[in-house]
Amino acid sequence: MESRASQQDEVSRTIARVKADALALVCGLIGGLSLFVMTAWLVLKGGPQPGQHLQLLSNFFVGYSVTWTGAFVGLLYGVFTGGAAGWLVGRMYNAVVDARKK
Amino acid sequence: MSRESSVIVGAGPAGLTAAYELGKRGMTSTVLEASDQVGGISKTVNYRGYRFDIGGHRFFSKVPLINELWHEILGEEFLLRPRISRIYYNQHFFDYPLKPMNALAGLGPLESFLIGLSYIKAKFFHIHDEKTFEQWVSNRFGYRLYSIFFKTYTEKVWGIPCHEISADWAAQRIKNLSLKQAVRNAVFGARQGMDGSTLTSLIEQFHYPRFGPGLMWERCRDLIQRQGSQTIHGVKVERVRHRQGLVDCVQGRGAAGESLEYDGGHFVSTMPLRDLVQVLDPLPPDDVLKAAQALRYRDYLTVVLVIDRESVFPDNWLYVHSPEVKLGRIQNYKNWSPYMVPDPSRTSLGLEYFLWDTDEMWTWSDERLIELGIRECAQIGLIDPRDVKDGTVVRMEKAYPVYDQVYQESVDRIRRYLETFSNLQTIGRNGLHRYNNQDHSMLTGVYAAGNILGDKRDVWSVNTEKEYHEEERATQPNAGDRLVPTCVAVSVDMADAAVEEAENAVIEGAFARIDPLALGVAVGAVSGAGIFAASAVLLLSGGPAPGPTLSLLGNYLFGFDVTWPGAVIGLFEGGLVGGAVGALAAGLRNWTLRLYAKIVQWREGRDDRRHLLDKM
Ligand SMILES: Cc1cc2nc3c(=O)[nH]c(=O)nc-3n(C[C@H](O)[C@H](O)[C@H](O)COP(=O)(O)OP(=O)(O)OC[C@H]3O[C@@H](n4cnc5c(N)ncnc54)[C@H](O)[C@@H]3O)c2cc1C
Repeated sequence: MESRASQQDEVSRTIARVKADALALVCGLIGGLSLFVMTAWLVLKGGPQPGQHLQLLSNFFVGYSVTWTGAFVGLLYGVFTGGAAGWLVGRMYNAVVDARKK
Repeated sequence: MSRESSVIVGAGPAGLTAAYELGKRGMTSTVLEASDQVGGISKTVNYRGYRFDIGGHRFFSKVPLINELWHEILGEEFLLRPRISRIYYNQHFFDYPLKPMNALAGLGPLESFLIGLSYIKAKFFHIHDEKTFEQWVSNRFGYRLYSIFFKTYTEKVWGIPCHEISADWAAQRIKNLSLKQAVRNAVFGARQGMDGSTLTSLIEQFHYPRFGPGLMWERCRDLIQRQGSQTIHGVKVERVRHRQGLVDCVQGRGAAGESLEYDGGHFVSTMPLRDLVQVLDPLPPDDVLKAAQALRYRDYLTVVLVIDRESVFPDNWLYVHSPEVKLGRIQNYKNWSPYMVPDPSRTSLGLEYFLWDTDEMWTWSDERLIELGIRECAQIGLIDPRDVKDGTVVRMEKAYPVYDQVYQESVDRIRRYLETFSNLQTIGRNGLHRYNNQDHSMLTGVYAAGNILGDKRDVWSVNTEKEYHEEERATQPNAGDRLVPTCVAVSVDMADAAVEEAENAVIEGAFARIDPLALGVAVGAVSGAGIFAASAVLLLSGGPAPGPTLSLLGNYLFGFDVTWPGAVIGLFEGGLVGGAVGALAAGLRNWTLRLYAKIVQWREGRDDRRHLLDKM
């Protein structure tokens, strides 16, 4: 049992649960927008071979390139990948919290 | 008198409130008052048109019910007054609460420097086992500041050396809010006063009846009279007769020395606990009598001087720390309310002396006391004795119940004994031997009336630790706070309780902790799987040397490269790193919220520490 003193010393005794859908949305938006902005920045900066490293993402994201079209394709991939990661983190977090409660 | 009616001893705030509440619910009572005035310690004395209190009585309460009662009784007669108070020490006035620049100017650079050093010393060489008031205050403010701003005044008020006063006593005066309560105050604001203003602002300003607190109690007496109850003055209760756990009647002596007897169905006493025990007939067992005899009270007298000057100083009151005078505090009643003086070109000052009734000074004649007052005021440079046109003295016995080492045990013993009576309740400040303000005393009156009508309220819980438990519906330590009465358990006000519960729920949700292990596992699993999947994609898509760029991760993940064994290593190591990052993020987030709560809690305590003198 928790000591009385430690109970008093808490603002909240609740363990947060995460809304996986909301986390997916947030991570998806961050992922998509980040990839879009990173691509767009390189395109705008220009140069002989813009974004040769970022370009390597096409190994994973078929159709992606460091071009304006690629930026929009990246946006979709980023949303999807970030969303999936967020959703997975959320679900797993809740599962572990539930398991620890039992 | 009907067996159903109640007899209430004492027409102070507690007794009158009990009678008023009973009257509102259709039950009459008889209030017996020894003196010729209502209000008890909260009375207002009228001397040739000059009105003054016993001390000065600020009206503010965290208890909504009491704020409502005050309004109900006094209507629009309240003034909202700014609070100005200073400390007089060593021929200087210091703003109180202390302000750094003002204190620096008053103390001079050398003394300020020494105070700074002593403060730093207190922080580094903290006295760990704080036992005395002196140690407690020195630990927080440094010994030098303590000896200038706390020692003399505290000793004047309580008549006990600070190194003999228990440290708990000081600690009890500081709000010991739980983290949650502190955050709730910060997020939703503290409890509100009579007109919705917050309590913090009410420390800077306060409500005061136009003609002093006595006006409230005179109105209350008139109201209970209209309800069919009566207040009988000049009856000092000297015997409380009882049989088999029931009080039959009280006997008193009238102003002309005649013996009077009052019976009733219920009895409520606001007389000092010590006196009540001693007038029980038959007397209680020896241990209870001894416990009663052990209760001590500090007495008080005020010398009122009428000064032929429109203004003497702008403060409501001055704390007098100068050790060369006996004077503890000076009230300037005109600054409490301009209606307190009949002639605006004059000022009346109340010089407050704290004494034991066994002190020789207690027996001095009024003339001698007035002379002393004039001399001391002149000595500290406040007045010219030639300006004093008149003066009077008011003595108030048992103004302060003393919290010494044995009082709690004595009170508990008496309480256990009194609980064997089914129709006798003791309430109020001295009735409970508790350092209550008017609002606390009134609340005990409300509870007592409720109990007579069938409720089950614990009058002893008002202004104590327990009430906080009820308020918070969780345990948390504190004790009665005299100056800022904390919200007591007014379960009567259900709406308030519901709001509080809703606020608590919001805080529970907003400050819910993220489980570091769970987040670690989740982020770890997703990161590990991500690295594995990325490696696998590259390996499956083939090529002579797949994934040269991803292989750079090998700089961080020991043994990782884009091969199938490398992918497995990536899965585990990535998982571990991700796990650590997740757990760290959760920990940091929890820690930040806790830090925020701690800062808020510290700030609340700081406000209390700054007003420590007010709570003496
Ligand atoms: C210096 C000072 C400053 C204060 N400042 C404030 C303030 O700013 N704000 C605030 O809210 N409170 C303040 N208080 C506290 C406030 O005065 C008390 O809380 C309040 O008056 C207590 O009310 P009561 O009814 O419990 O007791 P009392 O006021 O003591 O009333 C008890 C009554 O019972 C009568 N009585 C006693 N024995 C008998 C007997 N045997 N027979 C018949 N009658 C009897 C007494 O004559 C008295 O009238 C202050 C107190 C002091 C001493």
